[in-house]
Amino acid sequence: MEEREIAFLTIPFGPQHPASGHFHALLKVDGETVLGLEPHPGYLHRGFEKLMEYRVHPQNCVLVDRADVLDPFSCELGYANAIEKIAGLEIPQRGRYIRTIMAELGRILSHITWIGVLSMVLGFDSANKIAWGDREKILRLNEIATGGRLYPCYLCIGGVRRDISQEFVDETSKALDYLEGQLSFYDYFVFKNETFVMRMEKVGRMSAEEAIDLGATGPNLRACGIDYDVRKDEPYEAYPEVEFNVITREEGDAYARSLCRRDEIAESISIVRQLLKNLPDGSYRVELGPECITLEGESYFCLESARGEKCFHVVSDGSPCPYRVKIRAPSFLHTLTEFPYLAKGSTIADIPAIYWSLDSCPADMDR
Amino acid sequence: MKKLTPKVIKSKSEARAWSVWVINYFTACGFMELLPWVGSGYDMERFGILPVPSPRHADVFIIAGYVTTKAAKRIKMIYDQMASPKYVLALGSCPMTGGMYWDSYATIKRVDEIIPVDLWIEGCPPKPENIGHGIVMAANAIKGGLKGH
Amino acid sequence: MISDIESRLKSKFPDSLLNVVSKDKRITFSVKKEKFYSILSELKDIGFDHLSDVTAVDYIDEQEFELIYHLWSHREKIRAIVKVRIPREVPTVKSVVGLWTGAQMHEREDHELFGINFEGNPNLAELFLEDWEEIPPFRKDFDTRKYVKEKYYQEDEQYPIVKG
Repeated sequence: MEEREIAFLTIPFGPQHPASGHFHALLKVDGETVLGLEPHPGYLHRGFEKLMEYRVHPQNCVLVDRADVLDPFSCELGYANAIEKIAGLEIPQRGRYIRTIMAELGRILSHITWIGVLSMVLGFDSANKIAWGDREKILRLNEIATGGRLYPCYLCIGGVRRDISQEFVDETSKALDYLEGQLSFYDYFVFKNETFVMRMEKVGRMSAEEAIDLGATGPNLRACGIDYDVRKDEPYEAYPEVEFNVITREEGDAYARSLCRRDEIAESISIVRQLLKNLPDGSYRVELGPECITLEGESYFCLESARGEKCFHVVSDGSPCPYRVKIRAPSFLHTLTEFPYLAKGSTIADIPAIYWSLDSCPADMDR
Repeated sequence: MKKLTPKVIKSKSEARAWSVWVINYFTACGFMELLPWVGSGYDMERFGILPVPSPRHADVFIIAGYVTTKAAKRIKMIYDQMASPKYVLALGSCPMTGGMYWDSYATIKRVDEIIPVDLWIEGCPPKPENIGHGIVMAANAIKGGLKGH
Repeated sequence: MISDIESRLKSKFPDSLLNVVSKDKRITFSVKKEKFYSILSELKDIGFDHLSDVTAVDYIDEQEFELIYHLWSHREKIRAIVKVRIPREVPTVKSVVGLWTGAQMHEREDHELFGINFEGNPNLAELFLEDWEEIPPFRKDFDTRKYVKEKYYQEDEQYPIVKG
């Protein structure tokens, strides 16, 4: 009998791949089964935190948008709040409400983009095209309020740069009604679609203990049953004044994560409606003098972005530029610890479904 | 009633101009304003533009956003594999001069140091209307005989 | 609850805690380097099962790195922050991969960007940068603008100066 040599194949899930964003992973496969996955990030690394040490605080408020390209408002919110905590500033109520409205609209935008990308990699082109058309409604709202479609640069230390107009309030209500109708369409077209369910159910399953050990946060963790949502546990901005539910599921697989995000869109729509109804009058910004630039102190601020827990650790030593800024990016652990763990034992065809069900943004991971 | 005449494509350049295939490479943050073109917001498929996965099938390489030193090698590899005639579009201010990350140790400041560029579209990121203007300009240039490389 | 945690740690490690501050559901411990692993291990037993982040700050004037471990307890909803200072000349510290698996990647990033050595981490290969030959880029003695000017711009070329 001849001896057969068994060799394992290494396939690149390369940087140029329709299903991978700008991220490189080496898959070690035996036939169709994936035995291991080695991630190689860094294709989008700019050294963000080093760049922020060379710019003064108001300039950083504009730069930090691009740290997470799919949910830019959360980055601005985090940095501004961290600086305001060091300075001990109290934002007026109208400013807090406007910030929360924009943050929730950003969350809806990120989740709709995620529906589009996930459908594209699963081969479901129709849902992809429709979802990316629905994004335009929210980008139009961004443009009315701030002037910038994607990277608003709207937040400043002390509040928001300019007030929202009645046109914004009217257009937002119309857009929310449209999106709510679209949600029931997505339910029928995507989330209850037999093929979608077959491709996502029981794929990429993790238990609650494994998720906590790997450092998961956001909808990935809530789909395993742990109800950790920074908006409820360490409330900030206007969240103490609105009512919303924290969505959890028990199964921990890709389908549960998808349903968590779908329900979060509905919760965000309800939050924005409550905020618009109770929007207070008054000033939207604290007037600051030059003493706000030369700050000394350290602060750690956590918020709930669309991907998970995002934290800003800012150290300031009295000069106009920060001494050190560290951004805890949720996608860092989603892609580098959870994805290799979940990919082991699955088939090659399931890799894109697992990767995008974790909703990671390569620009957020690399910074 | 007006008689409808079929449109006759008169030259090879015209045929090429309205069936440009773009390589499917999500580069960086400037890419986010190409999403409405891929989706139903602005829809580039009605111009004959299709994203394709393989470099061998593609005609145009869109560099949307900043290029890091790690990605630069791969971009050169992909560009070399594309078949002639090929064109390169640079989107955003980062491939032009370094943009917002001009002082970053990890990004390339001018992308035409590694590959030749045919069309520059400015903006940070450029709005979809600007991108559309650039695409139509490029298609008309190809129809007019712009030689690819 | 916070006072229980504080008193339990103070009684178990009386000499290792330099400073303890508790405010708004957060406790911050500044600890000495020798016992920091046991303190983190004790905090994990108490219930801090989520490691958010491992941050490093370069205090070049004091010739020290400061490592900051951010922990969260899902059950009690309390945040704990542990700070430890290590010498800049020999930045070696024990890895906490045994306690939280997610720490491996955080430590790999700090190793690449600051040059801190984590003993016990199974893989400290390069993460973001490829063929990097200079000193670790996030250290304070690496000037990114000077590096960029020398590498990418010609000698007499104008480039925008924002901060002198």
